[in-house]
Amino acid sequence: MSINEKFIPIKKGLLEFLVLKIIAADKVYAADILRELSETEFATQEGTLYPLLSKMRREQLVDYEWKESEAGPPRKYYQLTAKGRERLRETTDYWQKISGTVKSLGQKSGSSQ
Amino acid sequence: MNKVITINLNGNAFPLEESGYEALRTYLEDAARALEGNPDRDEIIADIEQSIADKFRAVLGPYKTVVASREVERIIVEMGPVEGGAPGSDTGAAGGGTSGGAAAPAGPAEAAAAPGGSVRRLYRIRDGAMLGGVCNGLAIYFGVDVTIIRIVFVLLAFVSGIGALAYLIMMIVVPRANTPEKMAAATGSPSTAQEFIRRAKEGYYEGMKSFRSRREHREWRRRFRREMRGWRQSFKEKMRANADQWRRNWHWQWTRHPAYGCRPYVATPFVSLLKTLLDVAFLFALVSLVATRGAFGFHLPGGMHLWLALIILFVGYHVLAWPLRAMKHACGYGAWGPFGFRPAVLVLDFLIWAAVVGLILWYGFHHSQQVREITDKIPPAVHDGVDSFRAWWARR
Repeated sequence: MSINEKFIPIKKGLLEFLVLKIIAADKVYAADILRELSETEFATQEGTLYPLLSKMRREQLVDYEWKESEAGPPRKYYQLTAKGRERLRETTDYWQKISGTVKSLGQKSGSSQ
Repeated sequence: MNKVITINLNGNAFPLEESGYEALRTYLEDAARALEGNPDRDEIIADIEQSIADKFRAVLGPYKTVVASREVERIIVEMGPVEGGAPGSDTGAAGGGTSGGAAAPAGPAEAAAAPGGSVRRLYRIRDGAMLGGVCNGLAIYFGVDVTIIRIVFVLLAFVSGIGALAYLIMMIVVPRANTPEKMAAATGSPSTAQEFIRRAKEGYYEGMKSFRSRREHREWRRRFRREMRGWRQSFKEKMRANADQWRRNWHWQWTRHPAYGCRPYVATPFVSLLKTLLDVAFLFALVSLVATRGAFGFHLPGGMHLWLALIILFVGYHVLAWPLRAMKHACGYGAWGPFGFRPAVLVLDFLIWAAVVGLILWYGFHHSQQVREITDKIPPAVHDGVDSFRAWWARR
């Protein structure tokens, strides 16, 4: 099993966090999110993103508004709700704790490499 | 040369090569199946269709008007398989992390709200409601079909009007589930009516999917509407025929058995007095139960639900009132009585009723703190009721 395959469930679990981060930075529509993720290890597809966005909307983390686009039909532009910002803050804190743990673990005793 | 099929993606028409059309249809059907049970299914599918439409538009140009099969296949691969994301299957990255998966899968709304655990609360639920959502709320509260509750209310309303009165009172007293949290407190799952509507929509949607051309689709829709109209019409006619039958039976019953040795002007005051006292006692008990959880010095035991007590009260009242009402009818009160309709009896009855109610109200105002407290509470409750009625009317 390649390292990439091993991390599939973790990456999937982190997707909501990353989407929250992207939406927090700017009002975006789904293709913007996909583009931004496509350059990273977290590249994903419409088939995953749309169900996730609709779940987040149902949990009132994000909200959308229809906006006219210069080319084609109107698009859904997503933005964070107050609850979404709160969730992002909590998740960021938790993520920092986790990555701190990953970094520090095994360094005191120096036994494992 | 390939056959070309024109499809409709979320309101956009695209010509596709036939095998590409088959591939796309399979993809969308798989997506619909994967999203089975997801409350936002239709919306997600619409989003996905829109996104495919955007991609199709990108490959088409002034000299290229048909989407080729391999382009459809490439786009399907780009889209990726649609993942279920049904409620409870995945709670995202945030949260307690590795709690051993002890928590049973619960809908997100349920998990977020309802701090009282599994205790249900009675709310009026507007989704799928016919009037104010009282029956809907009761049905969910007791976990029975809403139709049964509606029938009970309608029957009570027919028998004495008490069904309508109870509905009005509950409309004023029972709060409306106007937030997702309250909705979750009222129920853990979507209401039956909502579920029904969702399923109906899905069926509709599935039907639309499998049509090969717009014309066929339009034809099908026209037929569907016509059938619905016909069904509704025949249902109405049947209900009307039933009502006529009832009325005839009722009339027959009274006209064929006129042999009560009743003297209307002697019996009426007596019966009316009893009936009025019973009505007043019932109303007092009702208001007092709702306001103070007790009546006539009796208090509800801790575990007993208020609504159960109210239903017992309703039933008890009807058991006591039924013979009195039958006697009143027998004495010529109504048009169905054996002696026909006697206005004088009606006037006498009304005078007695007004006198007793007036006396009791006057006494209550001057001698009872409790009555005054209750009457103080009525105006805001009425305002709330009127507001919600107006909102309901505006939505019509």
